[in-house]
Amino acid sequence: MHDFVSILASLDSPGIYLGWGAFQIQLGNLIVILVMILLFVLALFLPFPSGRKRK
Amino acid sequence: MSTTNLRASRADKDGLARRPWRGTVREYDLFKELTVALVVMGIITLGLSAVFGSPDEPSVTLKSWAIAAPADFVATATAELGGTSETAGYGPPYNKTADATQTLGPLDLQSFSGVQLPIDTANDLVIDPLTTLNSPPPELADWVTASDAQRTTWTTAYSDALTKATDNDPANVAAGDYGPVPVLTDSLLTTAKQGALDGVLTAKDKFYNFDYTRGTLFLGDGAYFGDLATAQHLTGDQWGMMNETGNTPGQSWLWLFSFWYQVEPFASAPNADLLVVLMMLVLSVLLTLVPFIPGLRDIPRWIPVHRLIWRDYYRRR
Repeated sequence: MHDFVSILASLDSPGIYLGWGAFQIQLGNLIVILVMILLFVLALFLPFPSGRKRK
Repeated sequence: MSTTNLRASRADKDGLARRPWRGTVREYDLFKELTVALVVMGIITLGLSAVFGSPDEPSVTLKSWAIAAPADFVATATAELGGTSETAGYGPPYNKTADATQTLGPLDLQSFSGVQLPIDTANDLVIDPLTTLNSPPPELADWVTASDAQRTTWTTAYSDALTKATDNDPANVAAGDYGPVPVLTDSLLTTAKQGALDGVLTAKDKFYNFDYTRGTLFLGDGAYFGDLATAQHLTGDQWGMMNETGNTPGQSWLWLFSFWYQVEPFASAPNADLLVVLMMLVLSVLLTLVPFIPGLRDIPRWIPVHRLIWRDYYRRR
């Protein structure tokens, strides 16, 4: 719980930036993009919820 | 019989709707569900926005600038007086500075709008605010009655002296003929430190005014505001278009727009904004016309993601 609170508090601290040459990305943006890609892949492979068939 | 009733009677030929319900029943409290849903969703919304909401950075004002970086403020005010600031040389929509616009061959989009927000930096940002003071500095008269050449001589000399002074501090400027410029800029600094300049520049000519153009341009002409942006990774050459302050996620969907500013030939081009806008325009048109472009429209055949999504359908086919 303490770790969670410290992570939340760090949202307002100077950002963490990752860079490779001209490419640079803020950690928050990277997490959002990775989560979007993960959701896209999950949406591809998880089966549709079948639910109850209509009579 | 009305049309609605006629339809209902047709749909209910076997009287299904009129038969009494013989299945199970249970109590259902619509008001209770609405209340619980409202309270739960309200708590979740407020909680998440308090934790993950956009960061609440304190506003940068002319007052905070004047207090935090008075030397930069005075140097910028001098540049506004002398007409050498970025705003003074920006061209449309603020003024008609020659060769200031970004062009590509004959294409000059910046000039299309014309001068919609005319700003005379010396008068609008320095002289006019000083005249609104209860006791304007008497040196204002010297400025008003001086010739343009004399004004330029004063501001150039004072600007150079500020650059050479220790810490660029006006208090350390060597003695010289700067005319009324030191007094005027110092009066403006005092006005700004008291918080009055923010109001004067915002409420120009109107009682209620939410037009922050003048104050923002003045702020942007100094080094202080730009340095703050650089420290927060918000400038164009830092992918700043995508970033929020701190670790809060920003506008990651602007990655492509931001990308062009990082690579050559855009990164060092004097007309980078125009080039990037045109590049995005071309790419947007290509995206819109995908169904008509051979090769591009065949990509789904080469990478059949849709077959993965609708795999049940394609398996049965």
